Amino acid sequence: MTHVNTGDLLNFQDYSPEHNERSARIDVEAVHTNQFNTMSTSNYNYEEPKPVEEEETTPKTNHNFWTIEYYQKYFDVQSSEVVERIISSVLPQKVSRNYFDERIKGKPDLYGPIWISVTLIFTIAVSGNISNYLQSANKAVRWRYNYHLVSYAASAILCYVWLVPLALWAALKWTSTADSQDEIETQASSSPSMISLFCLYGYSLSIYIPVAVLWTIQVSWLQWLFVLMAAFVSGAVLIFWLLPALKKSRYYLILIASILAFHFLLATGFMLYFFHVPDTATVPSVKDLSTVASHV
Amino acid sequence: MTSFDSKYDMFPAGDVGVVEGEMNIPSRGVPSGDSMEFNTLDEPIKETFMRDLRAVGNKFYHVLIPREKSSLLKEWDLWGPLLLCTFMATVLQGAEEADNTNDGGPEFAEVFVLVWIGAAIVTLNSKLLGGNISFFQSVCVLGYCLFPIALSLIVCRLILFATQNTFLFFLRLTITMVGFAWATFAATKFLGDSQPDGKKALAVFPICLFYFILSWLVVSHSNV
Repeated sequence: MTHVNTGDLLNFQDYSPEHNERSARIDVEAVHTNQFNTMSTSNYNYEEPKPVEEEETTPKTNHNFWTIEYYQKYFDVQSSEVVERIISSVLPQKVSRNYFDERIKGKPDLYGPIWISVTLIFTIAVSGNISNYLQSANKAVRWRYNYHLVSYAASAILCYVWLVPLALWAALKWTSTADSQDEIETQASSSPSMISLFCLYGYSLSIYIPVAVLWTIQVSWLQWLFVLMAAFVSGAVLIFWLLPALKKSRYYLILIASILAFHFLLATGFMLYFFHVPDTATVPSVKDLSTVASHV
Repeated sequence: MTSFDSKYDMFPAGDVGVVEGEMNIPSRGVPSGDSMEFNTLDEPIKETFMRDLRAVGNKFYHVLIPREKSSLLKEWDLWGPLLLCTFMATVLQGAEEADNTNDGGPEFAEVFVLVWIGAAIVTLNSKLLGGNISFFQSVCVLGYCLFPIALSLIVCRLILFATQNTFLFFLRLTITMVGFAWATFAATKFLGDSQPDGKKALAVFPICLFYFILSWLVVSHSNV
């Protein structure tokens, strides 16, 4: 931390996302001198921009909860941004270091989490049926597809995407220690909002879509390998993005462990329930033998 | 009380001519409006019925050969989607069996809910992304574009009457994929322009997913 004039510190600085939405982001770690410039100029100009910005933002924030316009601000993304966010959930080195703070926290979107979850539900249902068929292909029992895998997959995924971020948000909010050195709460150090956590978790599920297709390959060790790889990559990236916020919490290590544990649990649960090939060779039951006999 | 200007006193009081004439609302050629109201009560029921049926059939034709967009969008109706949805839900039901672990297929209500709620969610998505299309127009288009998928269901059902082998399975798969591609192409042609640039792919993907799910139901349906 560079030495800051206490006189400047006492001036009101507005770092809230609404007012910063259209302006350039202030990178906290980088240039602290930036703050000197903005502090000194905004001292004099503070009254003037404020009414103008209020007029700009009040139409957006005054919408009723029940109108569409209230939710449109969560769908304010371009196709390229969605693709970029998906890539950032798997390969964090391809995007800038402060991607979460700059882009996602300030502008979380609901498009990604919703449609990635729905795609994943149906991908698992379709692939689960295919893998079920492949498991019974060498038996003479007549196979019919099970539509209800959709509802089981839907319950699992929706529970995960809704409840785990909620629990994490509550944990971060109530166990974060106040940082005694920094009296100014900058955007990067405030605890992430519920929607941005939901957004992050939704995008982190995107790796399971190709993996769900690959899980239909009926080789047991390969399926376990995919579980480990997918959960590890996606969990590691999740932790990577959340690290600044997690560090402020008292239960830093417990939170990291539980985030990873839930991720592994989800992947393992999917694999075992929908795709797993039983290890023991099934002894043909009497019923199977009689069906085989009647077909011959 | 207002005082009248003298220049308005062109017709001295008491000397006004008889004011009479026909009061007609000019008909716009569209069969709605006061001029048609009295006529449709007198026509035979068959004619009323056939007019609606002809409108629905016209829209089916425009879905198969998507050339101009106004007939589906301007005069939307939900009869076509209802017919298609009911037909598909009836055929796609899984049969009940006493000793099975898998039911076979979805119930009637499940397909019904999937089609209508699915169309509603896709429409809501395109409205949230900022598209300027009304809710029912979009549901109408999505419902009518089920027509190729319903056709592929009919063809697959006919194929299922023969004894099955791998070749017939791949035939059914191909026909279903053609139906899926056709439906998606028709729907994007109708709905694509209503989205702002840069968000078109975001609006088209849920439409694709919706028809993919329904095509999966069609290809999985078998009586084997």
